[in-house]
Amino acid sequence: MILSVVWLTILSTKMYYKVSGVTGKLTGATAASAYSPQGLKGTVPSQAPPIIFAVPTKVVSETGSVAHYMGINKVPELQMIFQKTDGAPVHLKRGVMDKMLYRTMMGLTIGGTLYCLMALYIVAQPRKPQ
Amino acid sequence: MAHQAHAYHMVDPSPWPLTGAIAALLMTSGLAIWFHFHSTMLMTLGLVLTLLTMYQWWRDIIREGTFQGHHTPPVQKGLRYGMILFITSEVFFFLGFFWAFYHSSLAPTPELGGCWPPTGIIPLDPFEVPLLNTAVLLASGVTVTWAHHSIMEGERKQTIQSLALTILLGFYFTALQAMEYYEAPFTIADGVYGSTFFVATGFHGLHVIIGSTFLAVCLLRQIQYHFTSEHHFGFEAAAWYWHFVDVVWLFLYVSIYWWGS
Repeated sequence: MILSVVWLTILSTKMYYKVSGVTGKLTGATAASAYSPQGLKGTVPSQAPPIIFAVPTKVVSETGSVAHYMGINKVPELQMIFQKTDGAPVHLKRGVMDKMLYRTMMGLTIGGTLYCLMALYIVAQPRKPQ
Repeated sequence: MAHQAHAYHMVDPSPWPLTGAIAALLMTSGLAIWFHFHSTMLMTLGLVLTLLTMYQWWRDIIREGTFQGHHTPPVQKGLRYGMILFITSEVFFFLGFFWAFYHSSLAPTPELGGCWPPTGIIPLDPFEVPLLNTAVLLASGVTVTWAHHSIMEGERKQTIQSLALTILLGFYFTALQAMEYYEAPFTIADGVYGSTFFVATGFHGLHVIIGSTFLAVCLLRQIQYHFTSEHHFGFEAAAWYWHFVDVVWLFLYVSIYWWGS
């Protein structure tokens, strides 16, 4: 009977909780402290304190928006280069450097193939009997 | 400009498959010429062409994905399947060498003295450098996971630091293993023990070097802002490969270094 009274009391009233600073567990709290918890109270004054140094310190926004750690982002620029509608295939898209490398490769490939076929032809010949 | 009605990537015509195939021809014929006629010219040319093909092919993939935006979600899914299948094929590759090791060591022949390690072989102490190597690779697994989480959380500095640390640990492993190879009391020519040991650990070492290179490329790309917190499959592929290398080492350590000693 008493338990049911207690249970009904609990159901009918709203309970507020906080984490106890002492035990680290949930304990009861008042509505006031629940709606304005200590940690979120504004402690910084809305007005900046008067500058006490002779030279005012530099405001952060004047130093540049992002601190560049190990270089700046060049991806958007490269995206513009590679999305140009010039019909070039991706391996030649960057112009002269790509073309030179491709020509060198092809030269080595074709030259290498001929050298290989020649070398294999030569070593396939039977050796002269001693 | 023609627009395609699907999300898949129809690649531009590319010369790299041809140059890659020719490079393989030159490398293999060059190997034969070197063995029989003592000339390394053809083989070196093949090696140079292989490296240039790899550089340009993968450079083009980066251009297509990062700069041209072709790596849509269906395309990325295909790349994921591809990497998983490749790693699976590598698992089977190593399985063969483990099979060879267990075939020889579970039933040692009379020629070996009927025991394993064979008579006359002084195996390496598994609780010295090999154990350090195990710790190094496990630590690198932690740092690569740290790098992944840093990428996903948009932490540029932490990503660069953890990825660099992973690569350094990889190099440390390679250096330690090279030293072990130099100091080992047995060689590859010392019967089936030497063969199985050096071929299995040697191929593993090669995979560590490949994995470290892959991670180094990812580090360069991360520095150049290629990865976003949502889309960084190149890095994920490198991390998968690195974990695979780590797992293979654990099997090698337990089987060859520890049980086999």
